[in-house]
Amino acid sequence: MGQALMGRRAIVAVVGLGLLVLVGAWAVSVANALVRLEQDVHEAWAQVQNVYQRRADLIPNLVETVRGFAAHERAVLEEVTRARAAATGVQLGPDALADPRAVERFLQAQRELSSALGRLLVVVERYPELRSSQNFLALQTQLEGTENRIAVERRRYNEAVRAYNTRLRVLPGAVVARVLGFQPKAFFEATPDAATPPRVKF
Amino acid sequence: MPPAPSGRVSDYAGLLSPAERARLEARLAEGERATGAQVVIAIFSSLEGESLEDFSIRLAERWRIGRRGLDDGVIVLVFVRERRLRLEVGYGLEAVIPDAVAGRIVREVIAPRFREGRWAAGLEAAAWALYERIAAAGRAGPPGRPRSGPPPGPGAGAGLSLVGLLVVLLLVALATWSGAAGVRRARRRRWAYVAGPTGWTVPVGPAWGAGWGWPGGAGGGDGGFAGAGGAFGGGGASGEW
Repeated sequence: MGQALMGRRAIVAVVGLGLLVLVGAWAVSVANALVRLEQDVHEAWAQVQNVYQRRADLIPNLVETVRGFAAHERAVLEEVTRARAAATGVQLGPDALADPRAVERFLQAQRELSSALGRLLVVVERYPELRSSQNFLALQTQLEGTENRIAVERRRYNEAVRAYNTRLRVLPGAVVARVLGFQPKAFFEATPDAATPPRVKF
Repeated sequence: MPPAPSGRVSDYAGLLSPAERARLEARLAEGERATGAQVVIAIFSSLEGESLEDFSIRLAERWRIGRRGLDDGVIVLVFVRERRLRLEVGYGLEAVIPDAVAGRIVREVIAPRFREGRWAAGLEAAAWALYERIAAAGRAGPPGRPRSGPPPGPGAGAGLSLVGLLVVLLLVALATWSGAAGVRRARRRRWAYVAGPTGWTVPVGPAWGAGWGWPGGAGGGDGGFAGAGGAFGGGGASGEW
C-alpha cells in the first residue's frame, strides 16, 4: 500500500516534470522562431537600405549630366543635391525599426528626395538634347530600375514585418515574446508615392 | 499567375508554332548546360490591367528561376495585346546584365524583330544575347553575388533550426520516455513537426500550416526543367514594340 502511494507520487512528479520540460521546450521554439523572423526583418531592411543607397549613388552623376545641358537650372539642381544629402544623412539601424517615428523620419527624407527628383525630371523635359543624350538615357534606365527595386524591397520588408509582428502578437506565444522583450517593428506605410513609384517616363 | 512551368518556353498566348517553340527550348537548354544560368520565356496574351513590373516580380517570386544562392535566372516576359515586354533579371546576374544592358536588349534586339512579327527570331536573338553575356562573364571570373543579404525564405538559419530541433526532440523524447504511457499516443500525433520558413516549429495554434517549400534542385517535370530557387529583386528593364 505504501509502495503503491510512492509509485503514484513518482508518476505525478515525473509527469509534472515532463510538462514543465515541454513548456520550456515550447518557449524555446517560440523564441527561436521570433529570432529567425526578426532576422528576416533585418535582412529585408538591409536590402531596403541598399536600394535607397543605390539611388543616392546615381544622383551626383545625374545632376552633373543635367548641369551639362541646363546649367542655369540651378535651383532645382541644388534642391536635388540638398535632398540627397539630407536623405543619406538619416541613417536607421536595425534597432530603430521598432520606433515608428524614426522609420517615418527616414521615409520622409526619402520622400523629399523623390519629389525633388520628380521636379528635376520635369525640368529635363524642356531639354530635348539632354533627353536624347546617351548618358542621360543610361541614367534614366538605371533610375527606373532603382525605383522598381525600391518598390520590391519595401514590399518584402513589409511582408517580413507582418510575419514577425503577427508571430509576436498571437497568444500564447505573445507571453514568451513579452517576457523576452521582443518589440513590434514599424511598417513602411504605403504613401501615395510608394504605391506608385515615380515613373521616369518621357 | 500561372504555376511554375515544366519547360523553358511558356507560350500562354499561342504566339509560336510547335517547331519554333522546340527550337527555342533547345537553344535555352543548351545555354543552361553551358553556363548553369536559367533563362526562360513567358508569353501572355494580356496583362489584364496589371502593372507590368508588379506582375513580373510576382511571377519571378513564384517561378524561382535560376539556382538558389547564385540567383542566376532571367525571365523574358511578353504581353501581346499591350505590346509590352520585360526582362526580369535575378540578383546574381545584375552585374552581368545591368538594367541598361537589359534595356538595350529589349529596344535593339527584341523590339525591332517583334515589330515585323518575327516573334521567334526576336526571342532567339534575345536568348543568344543573354547567354553570350553570361558566358563571357563566366570566362572573365567566377560569378559574384552583388547582393549583401542571403536570399529570403527557407534555407536561412538552417543550422540554428537544426540545433533547436535537436534540443526540442531531446526534451520531447525525455518527456515521453518518462512514463506517461497513457497520453503517449495522442501526444505523438499532436507533436508533429512542420518545416517552415521559420524553421522547425511546434504547431501550437496559428503556427499550423506554416509549412511550405519548393524543390531545391533543377530536374523533374516532364520537360526536364524546373526553377531551382533563384531570387529576384526587381532588376531588368521594360519596353514596348
